[in-house]
Amino acid sequence: MDLGLDIKERNGWAVLSVQGEVDVYTAPQFREQLIQLVDQGQRSILVDLEGVEFLDSTGLGVLVGGLKRVRSHDGDLALVCTQRRILKVLEITGLTKVFTIYDSVEAAVGATNGRG
Amino acid sequence: MDRIIELEIPARPEFVGIARMAVGALAGIRPGLAYERIDDLRIVVSEACTSAIEVQERGATLRLCCIDGPKTLEVRIEAPAAAFESAFPAGPSVDPDPEPDSFRISLIRALVDDAELRTEPGKTELCLVLYRDTGSGDDGHTIGQGYG
Repeated sequence: MDLGLDIKERNGWAVLSVQGEVDVYTAPQFREQLIQLVDQGQRSILVDLEGVEFLDSTGLGVLVGGLKRVRSHDGDLALVCTQRRILKVLEITGLTKVFTIYDSVEAAVGATNGRG
Repeated sequence: MDRIIELEIPARPEFVGIARMAVGALAGIRPGLAYERIDDLRIVVSEACTSAIEVQERGATLRLCCIDGPKTLEVRIEAPAAAFESAFPAGPSVDPDPEPDSFRISLIRALVDDAELRTEPGKTELCLVLYRDTGSGDDGHTIGQGYG
């Protein structure tokens, strides 16, 4: 089971697209990638979850960890998600109130410029 | 008539996906569980197995027993030692802090119809139940009501 992680720069945002299943096995790769982005100086991170087929609490922990880390550097981490199954997990855990969630990368990039 | 399917996996992270895939496939065989509910079950099985794996010693195994009945689908996950504390705490409900353990508890509470933790010397078993929509409307269970 592989996790796909792809990074692109869009208008000041570091867009991290995630593909596959995020669970206890694959979450360490995801966590490491977010840590690297923050360590490299990225302060506006957009995590695109549209390619995620499965996400459990381990993956949520990675997202919250990433948010805490980037906020400690006065940055932000937002999500792109329209999948009902993923939104349901975010809603149950109250994280729809914690993260800004966009319908698309374009909507996020259009709404605000990253602070780079 | 109940069908019983058993699966034993090494208590290691790379096998959690196999557990949820197997349980999800089984859940779809008999009618009465919508696709969304099968997705819910996959999440709960993943949460339970992850919780058990976190406290198991190297070489331990998890045993999953799926009891596929006409009105319920029951998944029993048995671990050889104290397990599931992060998924099913023995104490009172915790506040929803934004931490993985509280996420796990919230998800299990929301996504299964019933859950029970059974502890015996040397083993712990978490029993998860989904009620099938039999169409009769008289089984007294509201799908998605959760427990606790």
